Amino acid sequence: MKITLSVNDDAYPLDVEPRRVLADALRDDCGLTGTHLGCEQGVCGACTVLVDGEAVRSCLMLAVQCDGVPIRTVEGLAGPGGEPHPLQRAFSAERGLQCGFCTPGFLMLAAGALERDPALGEEEVAALVGSNLCRCTGYEPIRRAITRAARDHQKGQDGRHLSA
Amino acid sequence: MVDRWLRREDERLLTGRGRFVADLRVPGCLDAVFVRSEVAHGTLREADCSAAREVPGVAGAWSAADLPDLPPMPDAPGVEGREWPALVKDRVRYPGEALAVVLGDDRYRAEDGAARVRVRVDPLPAVVTAEEAAGDEVRLFEGRSNVALRGEAGRPIGDEVWERAAVVVESRYRQQLLMPSPMECRTILCVPEGERLTVWSGHQAPHRLRHDLAGLLDRPEESIRVVVPDTGGAFGSKSAVFPEFIAVAWLAVRLGRPVRWVEDRRESLLVATRGRGQDQQVRLAADADGRLLAYELTVEADVGAYPHLGVAFPMQTAWMATGPYTTPEVHATVRSVLTNTMITYPYRGAGRPEATSPLERTMDVLAKRLDLDPADLRRRNLIPPDRFPYRTPTGRTYDSGDHPAALDLALRTLGYHGWRAEQARRRADPAALPVGIGLSCYVERSGGERGSVHDYVGVEAGEDGTVVARCGAASSGQSHATVFPALVAETLGVEPARVRLIEGDTDELPGGVGSFGSRSAQIDGAGLQHAATLLIEEARERAARMWDLPIEETAWSDGVVHPVRGTAAMGLSELVKRTGPLRIDERYEADMAFPFGAHAAVVEVDPDLGTVRVLQIVAVDDCGRALDPAVVRGQQFGSIVQGLGQALYEGVPFGDDGVPLLGYGLLDYLLPTYAEIPPIDLEETRTPTPRTPLGAKGAGESGCIGTPPAIVNAVADALRLDHPERLQMPLSPDVVWRAAA
Repeated sequence: MKITLSVNDDAYPLDVEPRRVLADALRDDCGLTGTHLGCEQGVCGACTVLVDGEAVRSCLMLAVQCDGVPIRTVEGLAGPGGEPHPLQRAFSAERGLQCGFCTPGFLMLAAGALERDPALGEEEVAALVGSNLCRCTGYEPIRRAITRAARDHQKGQDGRHLSA
Repeated sequence: MVDRWLRREDERLLTGRGRFVADLRVPGCLDAVFVRSEVAHGTLREADCSAAREVPGVAGAWSAADLPDLPPMPDAPGVEGREWPALVKDRVRYPGEALAVVLGDDRYRAEDGAARVRVRVDPLPAVVTAEEAAGDEVRLFEGRSNVALRGEAGRPIGDEVWERAAVVVESRYRQQLLMPSPMECRTILCVPEGERLTVWSGHQAPHRLRHDLAGLLDRPEESIRVVVPDTGGAFGSKSAVFPEFIAVAWLAVRLGRPVRWVEDRRESLLVATRGRGQDQQVRLAADADGRLLAYELTVEADVGAYPHLGVAFPMQTAWMATGPYTTPEVHATVRSVLTNTMITYPYRGAGRPEATSPLERTMDVLAKRLDLDPADLRRRNLIPPDRFPYRTPTGRTYDSGDHPAALDLALRTLGYHGWRAEQARRRADPAALPVGIGLSCYVERSGGERGSVHDYVGVEAGEDGTVVARCGAASSGQSHATVFPALVAETLGVEPARVRLIEGDTDELPGGVGSFGSRSAQIDGAGLQHAATLLIEEARERAARMWDLPIEETAWSDGVVHPVRGTAAMGLSELVKRTGPLRIDERYEADMAFPFGAHAAVVEVDPDLGTVRVLQIVAVDDCGRALDPAVVRGQQFGSIVQGLGQALYEGVPFGDDGVPLLGYGLLDYLLPTYAEIPPIDLEETRTPTPRTPLGAKGAGESGCIGTPPAIVNAVADALRLDHPERLQMPLSPDVVWRAAA
């Protein structure tokens, strides 16, 4: 089937089999290998990307379901000038990654949530962190990173308000 | 913007620019898929690949019969004669064992082909426990016993010791099989180019992999380059050559095409190496004052289907059986028995959790029998700081330690007396859920065994003023690229930004051992510090010659050599320009070291539901000098959570047919999630190893060793179990509910 994946504002015209999962299309057809596959059964969440703003397990979605729908992956997380997203800074600052394999999934999960609700509360953050698997960090640094990013995000927005 | 990323690894890993093996784009690369046995034990009647070869996009499909020259796994020393073929020839010995391999233009084509391979295996009875297998009623190898190894540490203990003891506690424990479960499963990509073969693999020991592959493919080591790119965790499970690796490398060479295998989680749960796997029996004797008199540990290890390194690994448990106590007599015996499951192999802790857990659980039982506080019982028996180096009855010589300090800090941090008071309060209140407090004192071994406690290290100064550090380690998340340059920079007195690290590429290094057994900081770190020191000496010698001064008249500070008197000074860049390349290459060797610590846990148990809520964990770990304290804390924390997994959640149950009941993957094998993380307080004491000038000991495995028995002891304490044999890990609600009944 001919489809066009719209990923991080770039258009990727593809000819894919209906059975092709989104994660494989992103990784192999679009060359966006930042999205990782950890279990291919929707449990670990390493492959989480944003489809139309919603966090989805890209191993459980077919590429053809995403024809023309805006998709965001970890490669599109930084700002237009390459300025790191608050989450990227916070993950480094809080040591929210070790091997880094699961990290893109946590980043996109949190990015989607922050965009919906910049004032993420403690419980929301806990629910987010509890959605994905990490075998290195023990999660607490990831929780701190998302909390810090939410704070910085809000400060950034407040800052923009003030300067406006 | 230097400060934006705390680690050098962070930028690429946070922006999607990490490069794991599955991410590498190689034109014309074929994907490998293995057809796997659905039975645990059986006779292979048929593996017919002809239909698979007709599938569009399939480049080839082979069973063992189609590849008569395919080499088997290398023999493990001392256990020869039981061949482990890369593809099953006639007998399946573990579920998931590979019956055929299919190569396709991509994973989809290869899976299509695999679905068309016709296989027939006639099942045989399967044995999955050491006890069943040791009877040899079902033999994995005709004419050979399933018992693959017997060993012991320490001397047998005389009957009179047990007879004259005031108390003897006997108990049995199970150290269940665990899946190491790095988030990235195993990977290999083999790219043949002319006479050379480049192998990319998420791996802990690239030089070992090169050596093994060279032997298997019967070609010189120099013709193979092994590169370890970003690696998504390992925890011990990625340091060997595996049957699938052999098939992939062999076919890549034979076809002259790149071939890649990226293990998926489903096959990983069947055929990745597993850790632990011991049935244990203990006897612990003490006098009326609680002084330990003797300890006996009997290990029956279920080591999986083929003799391998895992067969000898239970000896780690035997050698470490003494633990942190002054017990005068200790005897440990080991029997490793082949079973119809994938092999056991080192998993984070590797032999030391299995030593710590039975001893620490039995200490709590002993305390109860003697009506002593478990902390007091331990304090009476811990090796005092002035007794180091301490030679144990099981043959280890501990380098250094202050066990009482670690225990006291753990108790203080926990608020031990406060929790005891809370426990008493709840015991008096029939409506309150019981709480329990569990302790665990441990000693581990890091660095490796004699004969492998060395590595290649090197430091080179460039004309441009930069410094390159090289070592034989390989990172799978431990921050080597950040930590090692910082250490070299500190030694040389230069800015860390000037130093970069090269590791994990056999073409770039004269040799190497790898990263396992918590050895990288201890051995490679100490080695890099040593190499940097040698570089300073060499620089001073050259400067002395240049300035026609005795070497004592030169000095080194802040990356610059200068005369003791006078103002002349020369940086490394200038020195290299004037005197030529300046490079130190060393084989650095040190002895093993013994990190230690004390962990404590508080749990609340609902006896009606069997649920355990961990209220607090305190971990005091001593790894000597911490090269980067924040990195060490990251290791401690992650390791504790894996220990929590062993205590409460993780395990491999088997059906009667010997097949693991893990059909729903990670919905059946329960890795801890954030919802399970209790408050965890990390503390440390610092007792450097005297065995290197650096003083670092291994730091990554402490949580897997110290935490599980602390949690299980806490549950036993909450339930006031006199004899907690019924509490076997993982403490699922079912297990706890039965124990409480």
